[in-house]
Amino acid sequence: MTRLINEAKRSVGQAELYVRRERRIQVRYRDSRLAAVAADDLFSTALRVIDKGRLGAAFGVLPDDPGLVARAKATAALGDPAPFAFSRSRRFANVHPYDAATSRLRAPQLIGLCERTRERVKPALPKAALSIQASANHEEIELETTGGTHVAHEGSSVTLAVHAPIEGGGTSVAKWTSSVSPFEAPEELLDEFVEWYRWTETSSTPKTGRHPVLFAPEAASLYLLPLFSGLDGGAVAKGTSPLAHRLGQSILSSLLTVVDDALAQDRPGSRAFDDEGTPCARRAVVESGVLKTFLLDRHSSAKLAQAPTGNGYKRRLFSSGTELAPNPWPGQVFVEPGRTPWRELLSQIDDGLLVTGGLGFHSANYPQGQFSVQALGYHVQRGRVVGRLERTMIAGNIYEEFQHVRAVSLEQREGSGAYAPYVLLEAVQVAGN
Amino acid sequence: MKDSLAQVISDLPVDYADIRYEENEKTLVCYEGNELREVAATSTHGGHLRAYTADGKAIASFSRLTDARPLAHATADSARLVGSRRDHPLRMAPAPAERGAFLLSPRNDPRRLSLKDKQDLTQHYNSLILAQPQVVTTDCQYDEFHSHRFFVNTEGTAVEYELLIVNIVGLIVVQEGSLVERVRFAFGGNDDLANLLHRDEELLERVGHARQLLSAVPVLAGAVPVILDPDEAGVFIHEAFGHLSEADGIQDNPSFRARLTLGTRLGRPILSVSDDPTLLDRPGGCVVDDEGVRAVRTRLITAGVLTGRLHSRETAAEFGEPLSGNMRAVDAEFTPIVRMSNILIEPGSATFEEMVASIDDGYYLVGAKGGQTSGDQFSFGAQWGHQIHSGRLGKMVRDVNMSGELFSTLEGISMVGDDLKFGERGGCGKGGGGPMQLNRKSGKGAPHIKIDRVTIGGTR
Repeated sequence: MTRLINEAKRSVGQAELYVRRERRIQVRYRDSRLAAVAADDLFSTALRVIDKGRLGAAFGVLPDDPGLVARAKATAALGDPAPFAFSRSRRFANVHPYDAATSRLRAPQLIGLCERTRERVKPALPKAALSIQASANHEEIELETTGGTHVAHEGSSVTLAVHAPIEGGGTSVAKWTSSVSPFEAPEELLDEFVEWYRWTETSSTPKTGRHPVLFAPEAASLYLLPLFSGLDGGAVAKGTSPLAHRLGQSILSSLLTVVDDALAQDRPGSRAFDDEGTPCARRAVVESGVLKTFLLDRHSSAKLAQAPTGNGYKRRLFSSGTELAPNPWPGQVFVEPGRTPWRELLSQIDDGLLVTGGLGFHSANYPQGQFSVQALGYHVQRGRVVGRLERTMIAGNIYEEFQHVRAVSLEQREGSGAYAPYVLLEAVQVAGN
Repeated sequence: MKDSLAQVISDLPVDYADIRYEENEKTLVCYEGNELREVAATSTHGGHLRAYTADGKAIASFSRLTDARPLAHATADSARLVGSRRDHPLRMAPAPAERGAFLLSPRNDPRRLSLKDKQDLTQHYNSLILAQPQVVTTDCQYDEFHSHRFFVNTEGTAVEYELLIVNIVGLIVVQEGSLVERVRFAFGGNDDLANLLHRDEELLERVGHARQLLSAVPVLAGAVPVILDPDEAGVFIHEAFGHLSEADGIQDNPSFRARLTLGTRLGRPILSVSDDPTLLDRPGGCVVDDEGVRAVRTRLITAGVLTGRLHSRETAAEFGEPLSGNMRAVDAEFTPIVRMSNILIEPGSATFEEMVASIDDGYYLVGAKGGQTSGDQFSFGAQWGHQIHSGRLGKMVRDVNMSGELFSTLEGISMVGDDLKFGERGGCGKGGGGPMQLNRKSGKGAPHIKIDRVTIGGTR
């Protein structure tokens, strides 16, 4: 690393070197049978340079790639003036989402985890074509800049996902969980999987109109991705974010608090620094409905003349990887829980929906807060699930619909893109029968 | 290279093994508004191994060729471990041993253009958009991907082949007060640089549509008849039907397998659908797939009846159906999975005017805006639409997203136009049990079609 940084320093003005290694072992069960073992050992390298004030970038496999500096220099010759400098930070929080026991996991242990999960679920759902995946992941990132930042991250995670296609039609039911350390499948998760699957035996389509909707943690991304798109410092700097001038104002219900905390201990994916070497922090982005901060990478922070928030990640809506330029993205998202058990929220719905996911999120104008998806989940009448949703769409704008939250559940679970509670909205437009 | 790859898998204690090694080059030029956000040059390499026993399978991806040999042995051990744990046979359909090099000779090779010229071309289109009224920002990208691949298996196949695809794609963002609308555009979709040149007129027309959206009315929620333009109909057939024709998607789903046996009637006799990788100038064109199998045209629906399916060697054996050559991995990091190549609705005889005249109350929907599918449920968006009242086109509508269920929607295709057209941008995301693979090499074509009823989401 340091050799390449020194070479880059001689050849160009500033440089930032990012080297990542990912190792993964995954066991896959399909139709309730062991199907395959997959193992990866992958390296990737990104070099960004600022040469004569202009930004360039080159990507390769290993930092010993002899053409890396020359390629980056060639792109910088065409680049625009860089409005920012690479990190100079030397002090970072103490975050170690790593357990050596996870790195020692091999296929036989993961097969054991899948087998025990299958034995737990199969007797309750003998006809379900269960897919089970367990993987042990090990990630190392090293980042060095000519500004003196030199920092390393080592993370581990074990993930377990169970899903099964709905018999006779519809989509599938899925549950997942992850941890820094090896674990057994949580009883509660598997019980809920069985319950959700059983609920799909019949289908039901609500009437077109406005109905209460209970968003499960698994559906949290339906409202969080529009929110984080609005919080994106780049969109704020360009003036296209609907939140650009709403700092300090109420944008969601006062029952909602959303925290970005990459420093959360013992969570897979926690980080002391982002993908630009900026220190991460814990921040409430929305506190009791009030917008508190935007997410800023180094580029957008320079545009807005503010300090970066440690949110420069190599992530996009559908992709992540070393070859992506850093972009404003949350570290770890937590939607704060409320006081009512979620089953009590369900029992309050006279005629409405329990939404566990959605299809077609990205086709809507989500950067403006809009959502319009085929709702996956269940039709609820008189407080009870009457069947899985079919031919049902929900649509709205989070900055309007999520002003009217009736309650937030006591339970906070690992959902889609966040640790989130169940959130009950007063009413959302539903297109059904 | 092929000889050294053959050595890596030569004496593994398994029934079958293969290895793919790739050298990939990418060029990206990315404008956001009037700012050149990124110029990047990527050069990567890596490989993927697969090992099969009579009952078991294991796969592995690697970056360093020096790791391949030890990893091959570890992968063989894993395949044997899997085999020892299951009693379900794992077969691969026999495939002829392919040998040789299938290299490209593009008419106008984009790789010959200098980085500066690529930047200038991108800047030209970006500036053209920005110069128009109401445009507040853009996203305009030149994206070129070249992959030089080697594939060797233990049955005598040893091939070398190339993929090359170049696009200029982007987003036009217009604003009026608090209303912000986005419209996508795409040029390219194959290895011919000429497709990226002289497109000003079409781009300006696209900007015009984006501006019109600022005075469009929001779509109303409900279930109505629609006409889809070719771009939108291509995405519809890709999302709603195409993914369920990928055999690995229904392999482990007994109820879908039962509903999708060959010979099942899925639509009216006017509906025929093919997957055609032999259209080499379309985004999904290819000669061999990433399993070393020749890619051939597959008639998926013929006059309304299910007549074919897309396969890997493994699924072809399991279903007892012919090989199609549809295994594709986006790069060395990934294992191949079954992917559509160029899916298309074959042209019919209806004219657009006849379709409009047949609708009392519905919508004409234009331009693909992404879609998603799960099981028999699908959803997709339109860039914009027009109301249809009493057989006439009316006001422009915005915020169009729709959904449906495959079987009833295919049955609901009541008119097929005579004007087949391909979308220029390839693209499809699929996990297939592993990490998401975003595949550029995925083409979609269709004429205008009329569907009697789809559910449209709306805020009113």
